[in-house]
Amino acid sequence: MYKAEVRGELINGNKNYGQITREVLRPFEADRPPKWWYIGLFIGLAMVIIGTWSVITLVSTGIGIWGLNNNVGWGWDIINFVWWIGIGHAGTAFSIFLLILRQRWRTSINRAAEAMTVFAVLCAGLFPMLHMGRVWDAFFILPYPNTRGPLWVNFNSPLFWDVVAISTYLMASGVFWYMGMIPDFASIRERATSKLRKNIYSILSFGWVGTARGWLRFETAAILLGGLTAPLVVSVHSIVSMDFATSVMPGWHTTIFPPYFVIGAIFSGFGMVMTLMIIVRKVFKYEDFITQGHLDAIARILTFISLIMGTAYMTELFIAWYGGTEYEMFTFMKNRITGDYTFAFWTMITCNAIIPQLFWFKKIRKNLTMVFIMSIIINIGMWFERYVIVVTSLSKDFLPSSWAAYHPTIYDKALFIGTLGIFLLGILFFFRFIPMMAISELKGILKETSIKKDKNHGKN
Amino acid sequence: MERINIVGIYDDPDVLVAAAKTLKEKDVRIKNIFSPFPIHELWDVLGLKTRLPLLTFIYGTVGLIVIYAFLYWTSVVNYPLKFGGKPLNSLSFIIIMFVGTIFVAVLFTFSTFFIRQKIGPGKNVVMIDPRTTDDKFAIVIEKSAEFTDEEVRRIKTILKETGAVEISEKIQPDHYIEEEND
Repeated sequence: MYKAEVRGELINGNKNYGQITREVLRPFEADRPPKWWYIGLFIGLAMVIIGTWSVITLVSTGIGIWGLNNNVGWGWDIINFVWWIGIGHAGTAFSIFLLILRQRWRTSINRAAEAMTVFAVLCAGLFPMLHMGRVWDAFFILPYPNTRGPLWVNFNSPLFWDVVAISTYLMASGVFWYMGMIPDFASIRERATSKLRKNIYSILSFGWVGTARGWLRFETAAILLGGLTAPLVVSVHSIVSMDFATSVMPGWHTTIFPPYFVIGAIFSGFGMVMTLMIIVRKVFKYEDFITQGHLDAIARILTFISLIMGTAYMTELFIAWYGGTEYEMFTFMKNRITGDYTFAFWTMITCNAIIPQLFWFKKIRKNLTMVFIMSIIINIGMWFERYVIVVTSLSKDFLPSSWAAYHPTIYDKALFIGTLGIFLLGILFFFRFIPMMAISELKGILKETSIKKDKNHGKN
Repeated sequence: MERINIVGIYDDPDVLVAAAKTLKEKDVRIKNIFSPFPIHELWDVLGLKTRLPLLTFIYGTVGLIVIYAFLYWTSVVNYPLKFGGKPLNSLSFIIIMFVGTIFVAVLFTFSTFFIRQKIGPGKNVVMIDPRTTDDKFAIVIEKSAEFTDEEVRRIKTILKETGAVEISEKIQPDHYIEEEND
C-alpha cells in the first residue's frame, strides 16, 4: 500500500502501545468526571432548558414570535442552520480528506472532529424543522406514497435537496464515526473492571476481536466510506448554498456561492476543531498526542482558507460592479459596505479575512492562547457572514416600498442558546463516554512516526 | 470435542510479520492473527484479499439506477406536475441521484462489513488473549488431532525462534471467531 511521507513526530514521549491505551483512556477510566465537567453539564442543561422554552412557545404560538416579517422570511433560523452545518463540515473534511490524502496527523484529531460533526449537524437540523411551523408535519417533506394524489415532493427544489443531503450527511458521518470506535470499544471491554461497563461496551463493540482479516475489511470499509463521504462534504454545502443561489435575490443570485459556501464551511469547521482540540489538549493533558505540530498544521490551513475567503469577498464585490446590475450594486455597496448592516459586514471581513492572517507569524501560531482566541473569532466571523448574506439581501430588495428591517426576538436568541447547549452537552458526553482519540489508529502510526525510534521501542 | 490452539504472543508488529512469514514458509497453517491495530504487511504475508470495493461499486450503481427509476416514476408516470417550467424528466434530478447514490452505497457497505465479519450488537466474544486489544499480538495455530508431539514441538520451536514472548496451548473459547486465513 502507498505510504505517505510523515511530517515530524506525531506522538511525543517515546511511548509504547500499552502506554497509548492507558493514557488515552485515563480520563475515561477515572471513577468520576472532574468538577468542571459537572459545571459544564449544569450550564449545558440550563442552556437546553432555555432553548426548550423557546421551542415550546414557538410550537404552541407559531413562528410569528420570531423576528421574521413579510420581507425577511429567513432570519436567525437559517443563519444558525447554515452556521451549524458549516461547523459540522470539519469532522468530515478533517478525517475523510486527510484519510484519503493519507495525512497521518489526522489520527489524534479525527475522533473529536467527527463527534463535533455529528452534534453540529443535529443542532442544524432542528432549525429548518422548526421553521416549518407545524413541526409534527415535518415528515411531509419525505417522498412517501400518500393519500394526496399521491403528490410527491418537489424533486427540483433546493430545499428538498437539503433534506436529502443533510440526512445523508448525518447518516454517513455517524456511521463513519461509529465504525472507527468499534476497535476502541473492544479495548475498553477487555480492560473494564466493572460488570456494567463490560456489558455496555461489549454491546457497543459489536464483538470485535481484531483478527487480521477483520482489520483488512475494517480498513477497506473505512477507506470506502471515506471516499464515498468526501464528495458529500462538497455537495452538502453546495446544496445549502443553492437555497440562496437559485433564487433571484440580489446578493444571492451568484455562481460563486457553492464553492464560497463550501470553503466557508470548512473554514468555520476547522476553527471549531481548533477551539476544541486546544481545550481537549489542555484539560486532559494530551500534549503528547495533540502536539504543537498538529495545531500548527491546522493554523496553516486556516491561513490559507482565510485567503480564499478574502478572495471570495473581493470577487463578490467586483462582480457586483462588473456585472452592471444596479440591484446587486445597491446590495453590496449601499447595504453591506455602507448602510444599516455595516457593522455585520466589516465584522465578517475583519474576523474571516484579516485576523486569521496573523497566523503567518510563527510566534502567534505557537501562542496557544492567541490561537484559541482567534479560532473563536473565526467562528464569530463566520456567523456574521451568514447574517450578512441572509439579512441584507432580504431586508432591502427590489422595491423600496417593501423594505423592512430585521430584529431578532428573544425567542430567536433563546433557540440559538438552546442549540449551543445541545452541542455543549454532546461534547461533554463525548468526553466522558467515548475515547477521545482513535487508539487503534494512534498505535498504527506510532512506529512510523516516532523519530527517536530505538530497538526497545514498542516494548515494555 | 474440545479444540486446542497453540498461541504465540508477540509484542512487536515487525517481529510478528517476520514470524508469520517464517511460519508460512515452513508450511505451518496459521489459523488467526490478532492485533490491536491493522498491520498492512500481514495481509500480504497471509495473502488476504477483500472484495468489498467491488461490492460498494455494485451497491452504488444499483442505487443510482433505482433512485433514477423512482424519480422518473414519481415525476413522469405517477403524478406528472410541472415545476417552474422545467421538463418532467428534469436535469436537476442529478443532485438527488448523486447524494442518493452515496446514501445507498454507505449504508450497504457498512452493513456488508458487519454481515461478512459476522459481528453485531450483543455478540458475545471471549478473546483468546485480552491483551491483543492493548499491546500484544497473537498468532493462533490450531492443534489438530493428527499432530504428533514432534510436530507440536516443532511449531513451538518456530514460534520461539521467531521471537514469541509467550507460547501456550489454550482450549478454544466457546465464542471464538473463526476465520479462514488462506
